[in-house]
Amino acid sequence: MSSTLHKRRDFIERSILSALAFLKEATLSEEYANRKGFLQSLDPRFKTISFLAFLVTAVSLKSAALIGTLYGFCLILAFFSNIPIRNFLLRTLLFIPLFSLCIVLPTLFSIVTPGEPVWSFRVLGINGIITRPGMDGAILFVVRIATSVSLVVLLSLTTQHSELLKVLRLFGVPQVFVLTVSMCYRYLYLFATMVENIFTAVKSRVGVVSHQRHGQNVVAWNIANTWNRTTQMSEEIYMAMLSRGYTGEPRLLSKFYAMPKDWIWLLCAVIICAGLFYRGHT
Amino acid sequence: MSDIIFEVKDVHYSYLGKFPALCGIDMTIRSGEKIAVIGANGTGKSTLLQLLDGLIFPDHGQVIAFGERLLEHSQDNEKAAHRFRQRVGLVFQNADIQLFCPSVREDIAFGPLQFGIAEEEVKKRTQEVAQILDIQHLLDRVPHQLSIGEKRRVAIASVLAIDPDVYLFDEPTAGLDPLTVRHIIDFIVNANQQGKTIITATHDLHIIGEIADTVYVFGRNKSIVRGGSSESVLNDRALLESNNLLHIHQHCHENREHVHQHLPLEPHN
Repeated sequence: MSSTLHKRRDFIERSILSALAFLKEATLSEEYANRKGFLQSLDPRFKTISFLAFLVTAVSLKSAALIGTLYGFCLILAFFSNIPIRNFLLRTLLFIPLFSLCIVLPTLFSIVTPGEPVWSFRVLGINGIITRPGMDGAILFVVRIATSVSLVVLLSLTTQHSELLKVLRLFGVPQVFVLTVSMCYRYLYLFATMVENIFTAVKSRVGVVSHQRHGQNVVAWNIANTWNRTTQMSEEIYMAMLSRGYTGEPRLLSKFYAMPKDWIWLLCAVIICAGLFYRGHT
Repeated sequence: MSDIIFEVKDVHYSYLGKFPALCGIDMTIRSGEKIAVIGANGTGKSTLLQLLDGLIFPDHGQVIAFGERLLEHSQDNEKAAHRFRQRVGLVFQNADIQLFCPSVREDIAFGPLQFGIAEEEVKKRTQEVAQILDIQHLLDRVPHQLSIGEKRRVAIASVLAIDPDVYLFDEPTAGLDPLTVRHIIDFIVNANQQGKTIITATHDLHIIGEIADTVYVFGRNKSIVRGGSSESVLNDRALLESNNLLHIHQHCHENREHVHQHLPLEPHN
């Protein structure tokens, strides 16, 4: 009984600390991006463009088999990029297709999608008929979602987040926006650590068990305190930027160098997409 | 007269117009000098450095830098701002504030790139600076993953890449291990030997003998209590004690209680 009560009282703290832990893990999870592998060796600009092309292909194709081929190619790329396939599958296949299946469930039935019945059943006096067009549509939808999500996850796993942000410049995003987002990303970890330290400090003074109302107060103080500190820090960071010559239009280092390999990769990506499109239309 | 870099004349500054940070500061700083500004916490040392770096501006009085009065609107002119910022570099106390880019390399390159230096030259300079501060292995790291000492060295590198004539250091050795303190002192001394002007705000009296020839003591009234040669200031125990810079230290040596003052006179070796 006391343990249940304790868990309930700790709910806010545990939720916040778990969210912070996730945030920190997300900002630090560049382990795969720093490994040596095929996708890691490519120029981020070429990689992003090719993955965009794959995404457009996955979304445009109307054949589950062809999208499945693209998914297979995505797994091969993951393998040659030193990404553990089991982890990759768990990350991409466990939840997203399940969610998409929930969304697509009604379209399986003849009420929404009429057509040739594949399987019929009776539950609580109601007749349910699953139709072939309904099933085909559901499979196509789930495979398309799984492939698209896998492609995006693979791109983000194999590219440093700061480089991905820089690629935004390719699409005409202003330099100042890229810098601002990069800075937000850079300071997320710092603020997550700060909030975590505040919780540890509170715990060291009031103990682990705190009343729910008290817990809410602590969260409110924490939000106010973090807000104050972020405001103060943002002013100081702006000063640090001014001090090093910033005048409103930032100039950043462009770290990208295109190699022959990158052009070959882009050509291969175009050929694969064109091939899939061609097969899809014949 | 021409070698005067900064003239600070009767400067008053307050935060939000009601919390005084500096009251009636007068200083003259010449080219190639090594100056330390010492004082307890909250005596206005960091505020003075920000004034000298043209980041904030006095409520009353004036700061003259390189013969020109530092005014807020003069910093709006990009050319004038760049001319000034290429000559004065501030190393902030909190390295996390100074390192705002996603990687160490980009942080070091940030300053020179803003001044319009060609990217190839900036890359070369980044490598050179990293070599001087022995941080080549950190260039592709993310700043938040570094230790305090590494961050401080990267922060210094980010200013060194600009190659300013004047270095402003805000508590450069606070919270660092002895070896990193030694490296930073060596860096400051070398920079001064190469003709750079050094202004350091600190309350670490142990390093002053090496990093400063002239010392200004800031008091609780936010003004300069005394200025003079480092030796004369550091020998004035009463002055240091009354300004919270010296304390009586009590500890045990083999069951024998030992009481003495913390003396600042011996430099680190």
